[in-house]
Amino acid sequence: MHTASLRHDFPLFRHRPELAYLDNASTTQKPTAVVDAERFFYEHLNANVHRGAYGLAEKATAACEAVREKTRAFLNAPSARQIIFTSGTTASINLVAQSFAAERVKEGDAILVTAMEHHANLIPWQQVCLKNKARLLVAPISHEGVLDMTAFEKILRSESGKVKAVAISHVSNVLGTVNPISDVLALARKYSAVVLVDAAQSIATHSLDVQALDADFLVFSGHKMFGPTGTGILYGKEKWLDSMSPTVFGGGMIRDVAYEKTTFASTPQKFEAGTPNMAGIVGLGAALDWIENIERENIERHVQTLLAHATARLQSVPGLRIIGQAPKKSGIISFLLGDIHPHDLATFLDQRSICVRAGHHCAQPLMDFLEIPGTVRASFSIYNSKEEIDRLVAAIEDAQVFFGRLAIK
Amino acid sequence: MEDNLSLLYQDVILEHNRAPLFYEKRPDAQCVIEAYNPLCGDKFKLYIDIDGENIAAATFHGYGCAVSKASTSVLMRNIQGRALKQLPSLMDGFLKMVENGTEDQPADPEMATFLMAHRFPSRKKCAALSWQALKDWMTDR
Ligand SMILES: Cc1ncc(COP(=O)(O)O)c(C=O)c1O
Repeated sequence: MHTASLRHDFPLFRHRPELAYLDNASTTQKPTAVVDAERFFYEHLNANVHRGAYGLAEKATAACEAVREKTRAFLNAPSARQIIFTSGTTASINLVAQSFAAERVKEGDAILVTAMEHHANLIPWQQVCLKNKARLLVAPISHEGVLDMTAFEKILRSESGKVKAVAISHVSNVLGTVNPISDVLALARKYSAVVLVDAAQSIATHSLDVQALDADFLVFSGHKMFGPTGTGILYGKEKWLDSMSPTVFGGGMIRDVAYEKTTFASTPQKFEAGTPNMAGIVGLGAALDWIENIERENIERHVQTLLAHATARLQSVPGLRIIGQAPKKSGIISFLLGDIHPHDLATFLDQRSICVRAGHHCAQPLMDFLEIPGTVRASFSIYNSKEEIDRLVAAIEDAQVFFGRLAIK
Repeated sequence: MEDNLSLLYQDVILEHNRAPLFYEKRPDAQCVIEAYNPLCGDKFKLYIDIDGENIAAATFHGYGCAVSKASTSVLMRNIQGRALKQLPSLMDGFLKMVENGTEDQPADPEMATFLMAHRFPSRKKCAALSWQALKDWMTDR
């Protein structure tokens, strides 16, 4: 993979060539094609969706609907009706929690999550449980960051049908762990639990075939896969989507409105009240094309090369501890450096134009379990290089000297 | 490049971080104030005893970055035995300095070392953390 030439495809790196951007788990940079697509929409197509009876509005609507179809193909979903545009992973999960779980999970029932979930895949379920007097169960992980599948099954078995929903991330945004999502889905099915797969961290690198997986719901954000912020997808099985009532009301989602009552449009429109982020959706379509053009296997292969290089180099730094040692990891590596606080290290790295994330990464319960206050996290994408990782490692070694200077004296 | 860093992480700050002053857990103190930054998870407890109109004892304990730990340590040193009524202006002076980068000649030169935090917008909060918590506590009292 010619990452140097790919890098030129990203306007931000043209303007900030010095940056080693290693915070891709937070958000990826955007290729020219995505930026241009949004611009093209505003310059050539801008009109409201599904409303105007004029050519321009029809074209704008068609542009968005084409992305729905593109997303369907990307996920190998049976029908484009099953693709709902949202503002991101968080919105998609909340939609399922409110429209699906809140209606089905009764007193005494349970929702099962794992100990490595992002707050976005934890709090929406927790709140449903609190409101419905249901229980939030947490499948344990090992200290290496591996989901305990035996315990996972034991919970499902001992609850005998009480677990109505399972919510699990495909890839952990902190530990990089790739969860055995097919096995999880198969187990959940065995015990009749409905599963939501949070694919926020895997969508750009892993081929996800929702039919082969037999996923009930699958969600992701556009901005972590080279697309615009404020875009996201909810895929759901038709039988679930058709049975769910909307929780956000307004224009664009109705069939018939009177003062006494409203009948709603069918899916996907019933879940898309109000004017959507149309330019963003068009940009998301460009991101999907961009990924397909590069091919996800190539992105994954490149990221794995970087992960192996970074793991080997970081392991050799004295006093550095890698957090998350699962055998199957994605391009995310969390670590702690001696007693240097993650934010102090991140500030040091920032002075050398190295962008990493420091903190609890929206996973406080996970930090509590690991008994650490937070981590520094480097996460890789297609445009990163081994040289950038070498820069990171050199800077980390210098940071040790810089922050340790008084202790040495 | 790293000159900038040396301005933030002056020896004074690293020294306070390495060996903070008045660093002691005292759960039985009269007042236990929590200084917490939910964005990063840094959390200190400030243990304050009051004798009439003065602070009789102040210690702290907890977890935070070098900047927040050192600034808490300097805070503790500055409030030992202080009259309560002097606290608001002490807090305000420090918080303004960190926010705006204007130096109103703090009496304590170690307080002035945190002036540079204003050049690191994402780190201002670290310097201000415990000072703000103590100020809020004073306001709510
Ligand atoms: C695993 C996981 N789930 C959910 C989210 C939330 O995504 P968003 O903020 O785009 O809604 C993230 C983002 O950090 C994530 O990594």
